[in-house]
Amino acid sequence: MFRFNPQTLKKLRRFREIKRGYYSFIILVSLLVLSGFGELVVNNRALLVSHDGEWYFPTYTNFHPGSDFGLGYSYEVNYRDLSAHYKETGSDNWLVMPLVPFNPYENHAPGGIFKPIAPAFSDGHYLGTDTTSRDILSRLFYGTRIALIFSLAFMACVYVIGISIGCAMGYFGGVFDLTFQRLIEIWSNIPFLYMVIIVFSVIPANFSISTRIGILLTVMVLFSWTSMTYYMRTETYKEKSRDYTAAAKIIGASDSRIIFRHILPNVLSTLVTFMPFTIVSAISAITALDFLGFGLPPPTPSLGELLKQGTANLRTAPWIVTSAFGTLVVLLTLVTFIGEAVRESFDPKKFTIYR
Amino acid sequence: MKNYLMTQLVKHRCFSDICIRGFLTISTALLLTACGQSESDGDTVDLVVPDNTEEVQAAYAADPDFYSFKALLDVPADLIWESGDSLPEIGSPMAKKGGTQYARLQDFPRTLRTVGPDSNGSFRPWILDDTTIAIAHRHPDEFVYYPGLAESWAVDEAAKTIYVKLDQNARWSDNVPITADDFMFMFWLFKSSYIIAPWYNNWFSTQYTNITKYDDHTFSISIPEAKPDMDGRVLELRPMPQHFFKEVGEDFVERYQWRFAPTSSAYVIADEDIRKGRSITLTRNKDWWAKDKKNWRYRYNPDRIHLSVIRDTPKVFEAFKRGDIDQFSLNLAEYWYEKLPDDDPDVQSGYIHKSVFYNQLPRPTYGLWMNTSQPLLDNRDIRIGINHATNWQLVIDNFFRGDYTRMQTSSDGYGEFTHPTLRSREFDINLAQEHFALAGFKKRGPDGILVNDQGQKLAFTLSSGYESLKDVLTILKEEALKAGLQFRVEVLDGTAGWKKVQEKKHDIHFSAFNTSLEMYPRFWETYHSDNAYDDAFLDDGTVNPERKLKTQTNNLEALAIFEMDGMIDRYRTSDDAQEMKDLAFAMTEMHHEYASFSPGFYQAFFRVGHWRWVKYPASFNYKHASTAGELFVHWIDTDMKEETLAARKDDRKFPAEIVIYDQFK
Repeated sequence: MFRFNPQTLKKLRRFREIKRGYYSFIILVSLLVLSGFGELVVNNRALLVSHDGEWYFPTYTNFHPGSDFGLGYSYEVNYRDLSAHYKETGSDNWLVMPLVPFNPYENHAPGGIFKPIAPAFSDGHYLGTDTTSRDILSRLFYGTRIALIFSLAFMACVYVIGISIGCAMGYFGGVFDLTFQRLIEIWSNIPFLYMVIIVFSVIPANFSISTRIGILLTVMVLFSWTSMTYYMRTETYKEKSRDYTAAAKIIGASDSRIIFRHILPNVLSTLVTFMPFTIVSAISAITALDFLGFGLPPPTPSLGELLKQGTANLRTAPWIVTSAFGTLVVLLTLVTFIGEAVRESFDPKKFTIYR
Repeated sequence: MKNYLMTQLVKHRCFSDICIRGFLTISTALLLTACGQSESDGDTVDLVVPDNTEEVQAAYAADPDFYSFKALLDVPADLIWESGDSLPEIGSPMAKKGGTQYARLQDFPRTLRTVGPDSNGSFRPWILDDTTIAIAHRHPDEFVYYPGLAESWAVDEAAKTIYVKLDQNARWSDNVPITADDFMFMFWLFKSSYIIAPWYNNWFSTQYTNITKYDDHTFSISIPEAKPDMDGRVLELRPMPQHFFKEVGEDFVERYQWRFAPTSSAYVIADEDIRKGRSITLTRNKDWWAKDKKNWRYRYNPDRIHLSVIRDTPKVFEAFKRGDIDQFSLNLAEYWYEKLPDDDPDVQSGYIHKSVFYNQLPRPTYGLWMNTSQPLLDNRDIRIGINHATNWQLVIDNFFRGDYTRMQTSSDGYGEFTHPTLRSREFDINLAQEHFALAGFKKRGPDGILVNDQGQKLAFTLSSGYESLKDVLTILKEEALKAGLQFRVEVLDGTAGWKKVQEKKHDIHFSAFNTSLEMYPRFWETYHSDNAYDDAFLDDGTVNPERKLKTQTNNLEALAIFEMDGMIDRYRTSDDAQEMKDLAFAMTEMHHEYASFSPGFYQAFFRVGHWRWVKYPASFNYKHASTAGELFVHWIDTDMKEETLAARKDDRKFPAEIVIYDQFK
């Protein structure tokens, strides 16, 4: 694998010095790590149940029917009710619920009617509930997780395709370059949003949710990789004419070795600069698609779906739109701060009036 | 005939819109205005205007069995002529003409035609269904007919023929008299391939056998089977103006795309009132031929009806709250209870009135349609289990806030033709599990879902084309899990959902067939084996092992029961109401036993919010009305509108009015 050159390491050091971006990066990474273990934080399954001297950790295991804990039913235990049951009967059994004791799919309506409930600490809905009494915090949490994972996957795919084709164009030049440039010009003029809508209206509806998410990702990648190629192409052109490339050629290095071992590490700064903004655009795109109803299939939790509910209930349930909008703003701001810091630290002109 | 047409057509609408939820019904909530003039030559620039008169005459001559011409003397003398004289009049004598009604269109219509491609949209009721006049109409309280274009009519049951005498005053909006020729022409038009409407072609070719003209105002129409409600099949027909459609030919669809046809209705559309993509205004025809006719004179009151395109319902509501729109359907609980609650300042100040009206009519069949041709769903125990595992009551109580009513059979609301005692299955986890166990699903898997000995999961796709009702599916899914049944929810857009069930690719589908005001339910479309399989049974009544699933029919359950077929055939040909009733009950019971349908819910009322200047008759509306505006009995009080708007400015209040009309509950 390629090693970072000393210049890059220097840039990374500079990145750490830009506090705003650096802390944003720390926050975002911890958020990602946290969401990886989300089931321990936001879930309707208990973290730990002590029942009749035995300990249970239901979070990641098989379901426990109510009969396992002395309740007379065969379907999955409602751990919140179980906790109340233990308290009522004054038994020695106890359990620990996660911080937010709701999962994003369950309708929890303390009043019996499914309607938006305002945020309140008393019933555990810290950000209130949506129109069918699902916990907003829980839906936001998992919606954000999906959006982040989705955008990371999106970025990875776009970069792999964009870098390979862009570098190849710059490196080989000539007819290859010309042909691809024309192809990309045509391709990038197809409006991506309409394509998603069209594709989604014709794919068979019996596909599973994960397949549909996969298709959405594929379509988005298919229409987004083009912009990356231009930057990589010019960068490669530049690097290609340098002496070290010529030297590598003379030694007899293969084309792929030259591109990936010699040229790529030297154009890394361009790449890294664009990353955060690619993520921002992916999050915005998936949110916009959800908002329009062409994104993730229901009942998948998503920011766009919450925004849509929120705008339809502006008067009666303003907390829906504020939580969704707030999350989106925080998320995008974090990523943008990181992006700015990266750009600044990778800027070759260190002493510049441009900040 | 409108009814017949409607039922078929609305099915599509029903799948693609959200009929029950009433968003769309807002559009029908209001009304119109007038003025006159019809269009006609609009923008055609052909040098030679085509004329199909000869072609039509030739078609009449080529099919003398269908198109007959006789003398007045040939009308049987012993007919009993009816004219609905004794019926109470519709509308209020208090109604004032005038004013402008403001309403909303969800989409700009794609055509002004009332037949052919794109014509069956949410705009059509304004220019056809709710406004034009048929030969006669069912009285919205009494169910029997009152005259429209007819002066009187007579039924000859033995000859399966209805005789009609037209009102001598009946005229199109361009002042040309409406005559028997327009009816004869209607048959030619609807049977012609020019209109690109296969359903019309089929219906008018198979459901009518003859039209005979006796003189300009007297004709008869015959149908293939005598039925207790055979008069309706003829009386609800609406003529087409022959003089206007004489240019019909291969280019019918484009030629008539944006031309407003002369109409029998009180409202016309002037060219300058069509602002494409923005709005359409209907104007009341001051010389309307029926303006003094009983049952019509107190209706269609506003001078103008301004329909503007507003796509999003939340925006419509905001427009309504500002007073830019006169009425808003409050059928949805969230609007009735939260967005316009009783303590809303506009309601408490008496500016906006809230009204609930309980009605009686055949109910759309909301429920789960199980495809019995799929593996597992062909097992009756599984189907019964699913019935017991479906918690409709929770949906009704918690999602619809107890406003809706549980549906008991797939044919609720047909009065004495609805089974009086049959009850749908209750949500009961234990019963559900018992039945699942009988089918081999005894153990729960690691995720709590039942599995059988082969390790197969008890899981089905629960699809629907109703995006707005997706929360209902989520609730059902969570509840079914308690019984160990997994629903994989799949919400499609309307068209995709409809396509899926038409190709019979669904497991379980949540949807409804819309219904129209009819005397008795239909069974053939949904439960006859002809619509489930090709050659479902051998001659001896046993299952044909080589039968193939039939697509593109409304038998969504792929239900094929040999005895049921026999009963349906008898039911269709029976002319005895008692026998039909017995058959309907027996078939409903058989369908219940088969358990392939889980009846959902229906809405036994409509609710509407209206500014106080929109006035209704004292009883508000009529028993069989499905929306507040469809009968056009309301009127706009322009003085009151000024007063209200002024009062709102200086904060003067009126008594609040929240009224529940439950005389038909």
